Amino acid sequence: MSHLHLCFYSAFVLSGLGLAFHRTHLISALLCLESMMLSMYVALAMWPIHTQTTSSNLLPVLMLTFAACEAGTGLALLVASTRTHGSDHLHNFNLLQC
Amino acid sequence: MMEFIVFLGVCFMFGGLAVASNPSPYYGVVGLVVASAAGCGWLVSLGVSFVSLVLVMVYLGGMLVVFVYSVSLAADPYPEAWGDWGVVGYGLGMGLVIVVGIVVGVGQEWLVSGNTVNNEGLLFTRSDFDGVALFYSWGAGLFLIGGWGLLLTLFVVLELVRGLSRGAIRAV
Repeated sequence: MSHLHLCFYSAFVLSGLGLAFHRTHLISALLCLESMMLSMYVALAMWPIHTQTTSSNLLPVLMLTFAACEAGTGLALLVASTRTHGSDHLHNFNLLQC
Repeated sequence: MMEFIVFLGVCFMFGGLAVASNPSPYYGVVGLVVASAAGCGWLVSLGVSFVSLVLVMVYLGGMLVVFVYSVSLAADPYPEAWGDWGVVGYGLGMGLVIVVGIVVGVGQEWLVSGNTVNNEGLLFTRSDFDGVALFYSWGAGLFLIGGWGLLLTLFVVLELVRGLSRGAIRAV
């Protein structure tokens, strides 16, 4: 594996671990999700550099479009949960009681 | 030149580690800004400057700004930074991922990858301009689907945060 590939693979895995081991705030989990989107963008932009096919340059921009949609929806969920529960601390989100 | 690219890659990785060690969200956003700035520099150094500019404007200038405004919902009286022992513990534990990656990479004797995508002459564009311009010709269907998805997201967000009497998520 090339050392450049190591950089975005490990950033993706680290952000995934940060999403899994979230601590107190919901928004830190959303920030880890954004970091995963960023590393996927860089990975998709690396691919047409290595294979020298220009049409694959479309994919990172398209992925960023849908990542923006997902970030907006995640933040709307954050706002709705904070208005209901008073804060975004994850241990307060216990309506499911599991 | 390759050393600079590797340095930017390492900055990207440490920015990801800074977000993943879950400090208070005020400091997590700093890690994300560092990671995206390093990622932009990295893409420019490799030759694809258009996708790097798209990343700066849409990601850093659009999405992260909205995240910074939303971090105001997560106000702690004593925010934890990277000097607190809980965050350091998480950071070191996740840093083991980087160590494993380096060990595997050195074990396979680092393949070299240092090609760029420059074109020659004054009036030619780099490869990624031609690629993204396909959005307006053969990829017009994808363009319309992306635009439709964004419009739909606008209405989804409107419904989620309305919440007075007919909202989607409300406990009271």
